[in-house]
Amino acid sequence: MSPALIFGLLFALMLTGMPISISLGLTVLTFLFTMTEVPIESVGLKLFSGLDNFGIMAIPFFILAGTFLTRGGVARRMIAFTTSLVGHLPGGLGLAGVAACAMFAAISGSSVATVVAIGSIMLPAMVEHGYPRRFGVGVISTSGALGILVPPSIILVLYGVSTNTSIGALFMAGIVPGVVLALMLAAVTWFVAWRNGYPKMPKASLAQQFKAFRESLWGLLLIGIVLGGIYGGVFTPTEAAAVAAVYAFFITVFVYKELKLAEVPKVLLQAASMSSMLLYIITNAVLFSFLMTHEQIPQAMAAWIIDKHFSIWMFLLVVNIILLLAGNVMDPSSILLIMAPILFPLATKLGVHPVHLGVLMIVNTEVGLCHPPVGLNLYIASSIAKMGISEITIAVLPWLLAMLVFLGMITYIPEISLWLPRLLGMI
Amino acid sequence: MLLRILDRLEETIIASLMGAATLITFVAVVHRYLVDVPVLYPYLFGINLAWSQELCIYMFIWMAKFGAAYGVRVGIHVGVDVLINRLNDSWRKGVILFGLLGGALFTAIVGTMGAKFVIELMHTDQVSPDLELPSWLVYACIPLGSYLMCFRFLQVCWTYVWTDQLPHHDATHVDDIEVSAKAPIALGEA
Repeated sequence: MSPALIFGLLFALMLTGMPISISLGLTVLTFLFTMTEVPIESVGLKLFSGLDNFGIMAIPFFILAGTFLTRGGVARRMIAFTTSLVGHLPGGLGLAGVAACAMFAAISGSSVATVVAIGSIMLPAMVEHGYPRRFGVGVISTSGALGILVPPSIILVLYGVSTNTSIGALFMAGIVPGVVLALMLAAVTWFVAWRNGYPKMPKASLAQQFKAFRESLWGLLLIGIVLGGIYGGVFTPTEAAAVAAVYAFFITVFVYKELKLAEVPKVLLQAASMSSMLLYIITNAVLFSFLMTHEQIPQAMAAWIIDKHFSIWMFLLVVNIILLLAGNVMDPSSILLIMAPILFPLATKLGVHPVHLGVLMIVNTEVGLCHPPVGLNLYIASSIAKMGISEITIAVLPWLLAMLVFLGMITYIPEISLWLPRLLGMI
Repeated sequence: MLLRILDRLEETIIASLMGAATLITFVAVVHRYLVDVPVLYPYLFGINLAWSQELCIYMFIWMAKFGAAYGVRVGIHVGVDVLINRLNDSWRKGVILFGLLGGALFTAIVGTMGAKFVIELMHTDQVSPDLELPSWLVYACIPLGSYLMCFRFLQVCWTYVWTDQLPHHDATHVDDIEVSAKAPIALGEA
């Protein structure tokens, strides 16, 4: 009885448009006041202890690094580099856009930052070179979703923290799927461009390629610092994030000079408010999962699933459907914080690897980012390209289909996610 | 006037906490590696930065509590507005007001619980593990931040009743590029 009540109240509150964090909190309070005999005082403590974890602190650091990097410079040079590599192929600028998104995703943990950074430079350039707007928007808004799959990823940190899974292993697990998805999106881009005869760019000489590479080196080094640092045991993910933030500040202000020192407080404020919003949802999601555990809801669901002899195959299908539906109303971080503590115990009971579940959840939320009503990537791309949302919805269809195929592969071939971390001995 | 000072203070606090926490963690990492360099060893060995991790966590928790209040003022908190966008104007207004008052209620309750908790702690000698700060001081961010957030909710509510204006954080705003369409909701950094 009480699970239905808890979720019913949560959804009713969420539908009033109040912040998701507040809906979670009010649901918990209602139950604590009326139904259970948990001492209310422990809630006050939870509001603090929920965040008392150095792992969570990677999130504000990665957000700060992303906010610096979005200020241009790094993205522009990466685009120049990828264009010199693949620009001469059919749909050259589109392919360069996919590659630049994948590269930028490897230094930023968010897909919003990726779409903003790459899209704001790439979309106008594509229109200028005679590509249709809808093609550019389709490429960039779907490739931008790589931002949360390719490490570092804020969403993977959230999953790691809320399920006690190694963040380092999750980051490594995101690499192969990220490359596979990038290749699939590139294949669609190439096919669409080839069918419609979109323009190619002139072929760059080896010297030009090398020059573009050297200029984007500062940004590319960050990939090595974060991933190499974590894998090599030089720092913890949180420390890597802090180093990345300082490094991003350094190259944006002193090397590329895209930002004046006087503007730094503005960037800090922007990153701080974004981080606080996420940390506030985390606090309340911790309260919510405390309520779930106290009511033994995940355990009851697990018992039910075992009792009904659900196969892993069926279970994963149901998980996908639930997550895709959730993607219609919530953004990735909220989905993850609410669903991960519920799905995790069920999945481990059935023998799904925690790292596999994490990657699977990320890919599901990625699909949600690329279709209405809450597909944030679409809204960003639409405001950059000045196109209506309904038109964009049709424009992304070819790439969205590729993402759904990819989701199927991730779901039923766990080795795509597990191979690399296993090879490195992390799981 | 007083409100303007409060606004500025809020912004300054969260931006400085963000910057300071980053610097401290960065310095602690650099220190850990430089201490192994023989030339620097005598200078750096005496500096113990074991407390940096705890300080970083506390700074971010304080930032999160005050930043959440700032977020209400600028409308950065994520909500689901698929349904309310389809309601007619008078219903819509009622539902949005309900949501805002719900926020005020929640933060008021949490603030009061936090205040009780902090007052109890003041009667004890509890200190934090590394920094040995009095616990009540560390936990004071819960009542302070929550009451401030409650105030911000009421403030937004008041403005909305009289002017029909809600703070709207435009996550799709891109520097140097004119924005035509607006996202229906301000979503998180994801």
